[in-house]
Amino acid sequence: MLVVDNLHAGYGLSEVLTGVTLTVKKGTVVALIGANGAGKTTTMRAISGMISPSQGKVLLDGAPVQSLAASRIARLGLAHSPEGRKIFGPLSVEDNLLLGAYRLLPHFFGFRAKAAPDLERIYGLFPRLKERRAQAAGTLSGGEQQMLAIGRALMARPKIMLLDEPSMGLAPVIVQEVFRTILRLKQEGMTMLLVEQFAKTALAVADYAYVMERGRIAVEGAPDELRKNARVLAAYLG
Amino acid sequence: MLKRLLLIRGAELSMFALLAAVPLGVKNPYVLGLLTLLAIYGVLLIGLDVSVGYLGQVNLAQAAFLGLGAYTAGICVTRLQFGMPASMLAAMAVTLVLGALLALPSLRLQGPQFALATLSFTALTATALNELEWLTGGAQGLSLTRPPMFGHLFAPRDFYWFCMLLLALVWVAMRNLLASQWGRAFEALRDSPIATDAMGIGTYRHKVAGFALGSALGGLAGALYAFNFQYLQPQTYVYELTVILLLGVVLGGRKSLWGAFVGAALVALLPNLLSNRTLFELISGVGFLVSIAAGVRGLMKKTLRPFQAIAPMVATGVLVFGGFLVKNTEDWRKAIFALMLFSVVVGLPEGLMGFASGFLSRLFRIPEAPLPAPSPLDEVLPARPAGKDAPILLELRDVKRYFGGVKAVDGLSMTVRQGHIHGLIGPNGSGKSTLVNVVSGLYTPTAGQILLRGQPLPQGSLFKTARAGVARTFQNLQLFTGLTALENVMAALQGVYRRSRSLPLVLIGLGRAEEKRAQADALALLEFVGLGSEARRPAKDLTYGAQRFLEIARAVARRPEVLILDEPAAGLSHPDLLRQMEIIKSVNQRGVTIVLIEHHMDVVSGLCDVVTVLDGGKVIAEGSPDEVKRHPKVIEAYLGEVEAGPAATPSPAAPATA
Repeated sequence: MLVVDNLHAGYGLSEVLTGVTLTVKKGTVVALIGANGAGKTTTMRAISGMISPSQGKVLLDGAPVQSLAASRIARLGLAHSPEGRKIFGPLSVEDNLLLGAYRLLPHFFGFRAKAAPDLERIYGLFPRLKERRAQAAGTLSGGEQQMLAIGRALMARPKIMLLDEPSMGLAPVIVQEVFRTILRLKQEGMTMLLVEQFAKTALAVADYAYVMERGRIAVEGAPDELRKNARVLAAYLG
Repeated sequence: MLKRLLLIRGAELSMFALLAAVPLGVKNPYVLGLLTLLAIYGVLLIGLDVSVGYLGQVNLAQAAFLGLGAYTAGICVTRLQFGMPASMLAAMAVTLVLGALLALPSLRLQGPQFALATLSFTALTATALNELEWLTGGAQGLSLTRPPMFGHLFAPRDFYWFCMLLLALVWVAMRNLLASQWGRAFEALRDSPIATDAMGIGTYRHKVAGFALGSALGGLAGALYAFNFQYLQPQTYVYELTVILLLGVVLGGRKSLWGAFVGAALVALLPNLLSNRTLFELISGVGFLVSIAAGVRGLMKKTLRPFQAIAPMVATGVLVFGGFLVKNTEDWRKAIFALMLFSVVVGLPEGLMGFASGFLSRLFRIPEAPLPAPSPLDEVLPARPAGKDAPILLELRDVKRYFGGVKAVDGLSMTVRQGHIHGLIGPNGSGKSTLVNVVSGLYTPTAGQILLRGQPLPQGSLFKTARAGVARTFQNLQLFTGLTALENVMAALQGVYRRSRSLPLVLIGLGRAEEKRAQADALALLEFVGLGSEARRPAKDLTYGAQRFLEIARAVARRPEVLILDEPAAGLSHPDLLRQMEIIKSVNQRGVTIVLIEHHMDVVSGLCDVVTVLDGGKVIAEGSPDEVKRHPKVIEAYLGEVEAGPAATPSPAAPATA
């Protein structure tokens, strides 16, 4: 589904990624873990087109997308739920979700009716959002905002979802809820690339995982292998 | 060190020496007049750069201050028979006061509103100068003769030297200012006004002082302007000049004395150079070639985006080819200005000097000034013995904070004992962040009392609370991103700066000695958190973990009684997390009381003496970490279905079992 080959990218003159290669197969959850500054978020941003890679390839369903704008890549079915949630604070919860349905934007008339089934699906997944549908998104608690960010990404009916640190700044009980949702999406067949600081939690939901160090992939393997890898164990799993 | 000094000071000295030597060779009065104007505009634009460059505000009032200064000097000379020095001082005093009066209300505004406030000031000034005929002579203008100075009547050549001398003095004074704590404060408040207040620097007072100083330089330039032309007209000081001055600063390059000077040269000389056909063709041709070269190079190296490379080529191209179609270039002066401005703003957002300084420092490899050896840590952060009796340091009594109908903090009482690390946990939306913002002064409490050592803590002002001894960090990092790691700590440093607080002392260069000491102290604190080798790196280029460490070093530089850490471990990977815990522990061991908001339960368990658990804006449990973890309410509201006890790690096992 997603193939990243020898990806180089950075900000200004400093190169953060020095050749990242990874693969996400259809219907699997792949975790990307590593220290701060290793380049996990930059990898996500380079894949979704928010920064343009200086070298390397990103293939989505076999088609190269590395030189496309972020909005084009999103329309091709890649949804990015960014670090820090980045919801539209002054807008209502429902408007935030509807903005995620850009797939339907050409339909000026009947937009809302066409988006209704997706909306219902999200509300089924996150009943809390339904309760607060008319509330300004900025007034939600951190956990609800994270759910909204995931919900907004789902509204596009993406083929693949990139989730960047869904647990950041959340209470343990909410982290559990977020990961239950991720697990449920996985059971429904959603393909996901997941960046997460809680390496143990990430490995618990992932089918395959990559460990990043200084801008490249240092170790990769199935979660069970990584749990046995002494180096990974010492550095990331505590 | 010597090389650095020679290159930087040498460039300044040789420029001024060259300018001073011009009248010895060139006798043409026209050239001399232009160069005098250059010196006057130099002073004016250096003043404007304080607000536009350093404070980051669009200031449209500088032309008005030029006019006010000019008329003040003119009236002093004609009506009061003042000499030159007294008239100049009067002009500066009037503009300083008016600048402060304008700044007091309008600097509370943001962005476009501030620009509009200054624009209305310009309109008001122009009208007043025109209508107050009994004072200013109205539309007929005001004639004056340049008074003698100390019995010596200045010839044009002498007056030129006098203006250049003043420009040099202003230059040196501003350099002193910018190299001091004031310059850092200006940088800091642009990056993060909230952190500037939270570090006890005081956003607002620095803004007002900076703006008033810039206005006074406008007044000084005005007085020189009056003595130079000896005839004043109110129509001179209106919008057009305002915009041209702004162009000068942006074209020359913001936040740079050289930039202001180059801008002044463009503004003063260009209109006259443009009337000369050959010179115009030369300038536009060179501009076109430079923009093509820079654009192609930028595109090849991918440092410029396509529109950034192409737009200046088009604009300068229009300039070159338009030149063939136009008969009289002087009539098209404004259009030519507009095209030049457009090319520079798009192609070189940092202005000509911003571009050139990066280029020159690479060319000559100007080394950085060396850093002093770090001070002993015990001097910077004296270890305070933590008495075992642990008296109450911070006390909250029935604190409430409502947002409309939302009761974010609803009648909360708690006490923090001296020397403790006091944890604050609770689900998202339980009121932790609101509580921290109330205690640190960002929010005013709806009701309740907050006491530090039994004394009420100032409420509703980050700045005052910071001065009272409370330092904090921010959940979403509020570093001064443009400053280096060292400068971030220096900006917050407490107990070093005395002279540097007084603006006049700084301007005459008496703040230098304290700077060395501050560098040494700040370096000690950076080493304390393990960032000694990163001192020179801009904060925005540090890794995420290092930014978190730096924020703590900066807060500790305040020598606070209470340090509030808002999720210091958020987003940290395991190795960085362990390091962060070490840092927090060692800060606490030096006697700093810490309030710690955190979601990672092993951080909380590993560090805290006492933990308070919030839910719905109220305290639901309090006790040692182990007690709290076993508390049924805490498990229900916060920890979730994880087994209480040692297994309650931040990595929930739940997803695996779901």
